[in-house]
Amino acid sequence: MKSKILLWVSLLLMVFNFYMIFIYAPIEREMGIVQKIFYLMVPAGWLALLSFVIVLIGSILYLVKRESRWDALAFSAAETGIVFTTMTLIVGSTWARPVWGVWWVWEPRLTATLVLWLIYLAYFLVRSFTAEESRAARFSAIVGIVGAIDVPIVILAIVVWRTQHPPALIFQGGLAPEMLQALMVSIAAFTVLYVLILIQRVSLKNDATEIARLKGLLRED
Amino acid sequence: MESSGYLWTAFSLAWALVFGYVLLLINRQRGLRHDIEALKATLKEKEGRK
Amino acid sequence: MTFWRKVFTITWKDALSEMRTREIIFTVLVFTLLIFVLFSFAFGSNPETMSLVAPGLLWVTFAFSGVLSLNRAFIPEKEQGCLEGLMVCPVSREVIYAGKMLSSLLFMLIIEAIALPTFAFLFNLPVLSLQLIVITILTTIGFVAVGTLFSALAVNTKAREMVLPILFFPIIAPIIIGAVNASGSALAGEPWQNMLSWLQIIAAFDVIFLVVPFLIFAFVIEE
Repeated sequence: MKSKILLWVSLLLMVFNFYMIFIYAPIEREMGIVQKIFYLMVPAGWLALLSFVIVLIGSILYLVKRESRWDALAFSAAETGIVFTTMTLIVGSTWARPVWGVWWVWEPRLTATLVLWLIYLAYFLVRSFTAEESRAARFSAIVGIVGAIDVPIVILAIVVWRTQHPPALIFQGGLAPEMLQALMVSIAAFTVLYVLILIQRVSLKNDATEIARLKGLLRED
Repeated sequence: MESSGYLWTAFSLAWALVFGYVLLLINRQRGLRHDIEALKATLKEKEGRK
Repeated sequence: MTFWRKVFTITWKDALSEMRTREIIFTVLVFTLLIFVLFSFAFGSNPETMSLVAPGLLWVTFAFSGVLSLNRAFIPEKEQGCLEGLMVCPVSREVIYAGKMLSSLLFMLIIEAIALPTFAFLFNLPVLSLQLIVITILTTIGFVAVGTLFSALAVNTKAREMVLPILFFPIIAPIIIGAVNASGSALAGEPWQNMLSWLQIIAAFDVIFLVVPFLIFAFVIEE
């Protein structure tokens, strides 16, 4: 029942979001209509970071309590996290091309997102390279904790590094109030969508774990 | 590609990613349902044998 | 006080074993020097290019040799069952972490102490400044702090030593950036102020990643 409501809220909010992005928000002076990619990139980047916070919480709770539902939360957040991190990279690259003429720039946000992506990747590689399920959960929880704590330092280091050789700012025009409103709506809409997907993923993982457990019990008979 | 072409590409790719992931999850859910049915069948069989 | 005595016992055991076999220091040192030579093929034709890429080159090399050295921290333990032996002893897991971390630190510092002058000799760069020594020590502490935890974890996976680089390199990105930039300033002979923010980043990393792995190491080797 709750997920039905969430689905409709998400749908309506996203439709409203499209209105805000394409009709309500003005077109930026310098970059033109391409600037509207901004309304996609900021939410994607925000969700990539939010996911890691959830990975951290789930990982800590799993190590302390050893209940598989916390591992399910950490794992699901990592999976949705890497999806949105990938989105940030793809969208960022598609934006870089018309603005800077190249497919990739080592500007702070993109660079930090790339490192974030690699840490997510490490989470999954450790998980798949570890033999037994509870050990895999434990090890990936450790990677999740260390990775999540590393993220602020990574961002700090990269920002200090790239500020030494400042590239062109994302856009010089500044944010009109309508733009800020559209951005807030976009962040809200994508966050609701994210929560919806995360809840589904967690219940899927919990079901899968339960089924595996039942299969194991049946085999013993 | 003209400037607005990049805009549509970005949005299309982003949504393709989201929908692709959601489809993946739906598929996985179907697989799990199948597993549940199989488990139920095995359970009934065991009950039958007892 | 007995905490540190136990820690040093483990470190001393590693040091003794290394003195007998010279496995780690010798092979990693040769590896390091070979990479320097390889890089000279890549960049060495132009001395200006060389002084530009020197800091990055130095730290990429140390990162690679760091992984090589850290892999050796736990693989022999795993193979010869020494890890179980260690765990049966009445030492806390934290002691094992600290002991292993210090022995890895010792080995890496010895290797760097030889590699740096060699680097200076080969590329005619002033790497023997106090600044560079400080940068090297701080960054190496960061390497072993994270690397010891991940090495113990990697050894218990199916892919073993292949997992360590995948974990290690993204996590140490901040101190690589810090070390390369600080080293660049040091090689250019700039004053301490210019590299202060970098040293702070490296130091902050060290503090955080000495504390966190220390606390969660027990979760890696429980069995």
